[in-house]
Amino acid sequence: MNAKAIKNVQGLKKEGLVSLFPDKIKIIVGSASCGLAAGAGPVFEAIKTGVKEKRIKARVTRTGCIGLCHQEPLVDVIIPDKPRLTYGKVTPQAVKKILDALKKGKVPQGAFARIDTEEFLLEGTSRTYGTDSEDPQIAQIPGFDVLSFYQKQSRIALRNCGFIDPGNILEYMAKGGYTALAELLQSKSPQQVVSEIERSGLRGRGGAGFLTGRKWKMCRAAHADKKYLICNADEGDPGAYMDRSILEGDPHTVIEGMLIAGYAIGAAQGYIYVRDEYPLAIERLQKALKQARTHGLLGDDILKSGFSFDIIINRGAGAFVCGEETALIKSIEGDWGEPRQRPPYPAQRGLWGKPTVINNVETLATVPAVMHNGAKWFSALGTQHSKGTKVFSLVGKVNRIGLVEVPMGTSLRDIIYDIGGGIPDGRAFKAVQTGGPSGGCIPAELIDLPVDYEALSRAGSIMGSGGLIVMDDKTCMVDVAKYFLDFLENESCGKCTPCRVGVKRMRELLDAICSGSGIIEDLALLEKMALNIKDSALCGLGKTAPNPVLSTLKYFKDEYLAHILLKKCPAGVCKNLITYAIDPAVCTGCGACLKACPADAIKGEKKKAHKVLTKKCIKCGACQEVCPVGAVVT
Amino acid sequence: MVALKIDGIATSVPDGTTILTVAKKLGIWIPTLCHHDVLTPYGGCRLCVVEVTLDGATQIVSACTYAAADGIEVQTCTERIIGIRKFIVEMLLAEAPQAEVLQDLARDLGVTPPERFQPRNELCIACGQCIRACREIVEVSAIDFAHRGYERVAASPFFQRSEDCIACGTCVDICPTGAITKRDIPAGEKAVVADGINITGPARIIDNWKVGLALKQCEKCGEHFAPQFQLDHFSKRASLPDDFFNVCRQCRT
Amino acid sequence: MESFNKTSLNTIIQAHKKQNGSLVSLLQDIQDTFGYLPREALQHVNTVLDIPLSKLFSIATFYNAFNLEPQGKNTLSVCLGTACHVKGGENLIAMMGRALGLDNSEGTSADGKFTIKKVRCLGCCSMAPVVKANDDIHGSMTQTKTANLLKKLKKSKR
Repeated sequence: MNAKAIKNVQGLKKEGLVSLFPDKIKIIVGSASCGLAAGAGPVFEAIKTGVKEKRIKARVTRTGCIGLCHQEPLVDVIIPDKPRLTYGKVTPQAVKKILDALKKGKVPQGAFARIDTEEFLLEGTSRTYGTDSEDPQIAQIPGFDVLSFYQKQSRIALRNCGFIDPGNILEYMAKGGYTALAELLQSKSPQQVVSEIERSGLRGRGGAGFLTGRKWKMCRAAHADKKYLICNADEGDPGAYMDRSILEGDPHTVIEGMLIAGYAIGAAQGYIYVRDEYPLAIERLQKALKQARTHGLLGDDILKSGFSFDIIINRGAGAFVCGEETALIKSIEGDWGEPRQRPPYPAQRGLWGKPTVINNVETLATVPAVMHNGAKWFSALGTQHSKGTKVFSLVGKVNRIGLVEVPMGTSLRDIIYDIGGGIPDGRAFKAVQTGGPSGGCIPAELIDLPVDYEALSRAGSIMGSGGLIVMDDKTCMVDVAKYFLDFLENESCGKCTPCRVGVKRMRELLDAICSGSGIIEDLALLEKMALNIKDSALCGLGKTAPNPVLSTLKYFKDEYLAHILLKKCPAGVCKNLITYAIDPAVCTGCGACLKACPADAIKGEKKKAHKVLTKKCIKCGACQEVCPVGAVVT
Repeated sequence: MVALKIDGIATSVPDGTTILTVAKKLGIWIPTLCHHDVLTPYGGCRLCVVEVTLDGATQIVSACTYAAADGIEVQTCTERIIGIRKFIVEMLLAEAPQAEVLQDLARDLGVTPPERFQPRNELCIACGQCIRACREIVEVSAIDFAHRGYERVAASPFFQRSEDCIACGTCVDICPTGAITKRDIPAGEKAVVADGINITGPARIIDNWKVGLALKQCEKCGEHFAPQFQLDHFSKRASLPDDFFNVCRQCRT
Repeated sequence: MESFNKTSLNTIIQAHKKQNGSLVSLLQDIQDTFGYLPREALQHVNTVLDIPLSKLFSIATFYNAFNLEPQGKNTLSVCLGTACHVKGGENLIAMMGRALGLDNSEGTSADGKFTIKKVRCLGCCSMAPVVKANDDIHGSMTQTKTANLLKKLKKSKR
């Protein structure tokens, strides 16, 4: 690698810094899919046109998801010499106020957080936005670092998400991006890179938690004329969206991670297999790939080092099973996604029969940080066998829904209560579902469980890709088990008998239990089937399919018994076992339910308690949804 | 060569030999449903699962797809394995209670049809032997799986008349459950192939793929011996005299 | 009788041949152009590329993303990921089914205006329950908001 190439990287980095710490106003709109779902699109447009109309000298850009999903749409404002200010739940109307203030040279009201300094994780440095905290208006805004949502977090994979513009490679480079690559191309052999990752203890973030370094080593050792690297972005676990967020918010870190992995294992071609349901991620990746090529960071003779590597994007086509690595390979080869037995492992015989490493998005996003800061730094975080940090999507019945990254070993309590702010509406925490359809439900009594691969597995669940779905007393655990089996029944490829037939038959038993026709013997039958499926299914999807049933049977057997023996759903969810009623003591007679009912099943005079006509009721729940006082009960 | 132990018997076999092959050679019975010696191993039915132990770690794998490796110990008949086989047969019995092969297996393993499940009463158990045979032996690929999961089924394209099927009947012969039916219609007789498709004999019908093909008459003995379409197919691929397929196999010698 | 333009199909096939792309991506490109996979298109691919029709049909029915029938003018995907499930996603799809007269909630309405689909997780769990209407994702949906969305789309020219 020549000095000119290095100098070039340094120069681009400087340009990026100017973009991150501008000398004029910069307005940044959180524009990941979740932000857009909350209305970031119209907000962005309103800012664009407003800035033009009012002739405000400001740059308007986008950024990814900072994890504060419950505050979306988010808008950040950078005024020179002042801290970066964050505004939450911004509407086009609120935009007007923000712009009016900016026009007058004032700090817009209503920011809920501020960032004084930006940490440069990879450089080990920080840079201050502005020190003007004398301004009393700014001084009273809490800093990001004191927000309880962030206090216990430690963001490595998410280090850039929500800060940089994913469409601007220079901002990525300003935060230390592509430096790890440039350095190792210059001074490290592929073998040294493999060893460094091995020493770091990094484990695959996609589910099974296989040691990344070991995978790379196995592939590196395999003899073949060609090797491949695949980034698994087929994030299928319902309730998990960290990979989407990383791809949408920081695509270059995944590309850099792939380049490092490709160099280490000796691959010249990489593939990113992205879910079809993630069009924005694909769009941002495409743009990022193009930029990387333009700057000589991708393609032939990267940074004049002699190393060549390129990346092709493959779009998934709607099949959860393709997240399984052997099925994913078949899908890239153009066939249908049908898993095959391992061994041989893909690292021995993978894509087109060649040794192949498949790493998940979050794993690859972590790789540049590990290479830059070293194995020792990374392995100092986490627990004995689970090193570093893990991203979790904290969703469901929790106050501060969002994407969080914490050191391995952080307790569920810290995540759900300290970071997540507990359960909404003062309801009781019942369980948290981890690991997607392959995982299980962990009950309230295990709230102090430190979250790492081993602890979750001991509790009857798995880490999976990191979805944490919080459930309260209004969530029926039998219904949750049925939900997952229904999901898997739909997603099973159908190749092996236990998964194709067994899972369907188990789902039928759960259907029976939820609709009141379950018998007590069903519980033993479910357990027997579950254990046999676990033992005999062909791939990971089938082998883990019974987990949601096994874990709910273990911790919530009383709920199963209530459905079977009492024909009751304690959580009030299973439609066949509940009736809707209006509590006359609470009802104000506003008539909202009457209007909302599609079946004419509600009667009542204005300002008097209403009544549900049970015979007519179709149990759609529309009344419950609109009732302003919570008078509709099940 | 690799050395392994199977049910306590030490043996060594060439690289790449599957456990199923090893077992067969030693006379150890491992039941199978989706396996056929002339087809690519599939590993779908899971009836042939065995326990494989290496370095103290035990894995359950399908014997038909697992290549024997140095130092492995294979157990084909543990309680756990028997339990799985019974479970698989139970599940399939609920699918195809009429299939003789399943009834036999049920008898051998002491399995009774599960009462808690509504029988599906189909014969196909999605073992895919017909599909592999059509692709690998006949090299026609007239059929493939359609849909996935529980709906997965061997099918002709669009579930309509297969344009490629040559009605050779290999699929019929290889199907372990008798799920595919073939009929030869005598000359002059009318028959329904499928909704809206009729044919007059001499013809051969494969019901599942909605195919009815006219049969050719042997120029020597006069027997209707094979579908004309099939003979055309073979004559295009083989370098044989033009009149080779004008007579039936018996009359060719 | 041709429900598709053969020239554009040939363009797709040629581009595909050049890039040496996978069969799945070829079918995706065809669907992106025609909105679904017309049978004639698959037959044409069979002829030109000599890929068995059975294989094409197999792949087209394996992956959820492929449609063998023309789709409604508006596609509404109701997310039934875990977070959307516990927050009542099923109620939304049932409501749409009732409003559009669809038997099992999924499918295309008789007037061809709407196709309703279930989708397992759009990855917008923080906004659960979520409905995707064509290219736009709508978060924190209720039955009332969904009814309004249907009304709005019905009036739109699309």
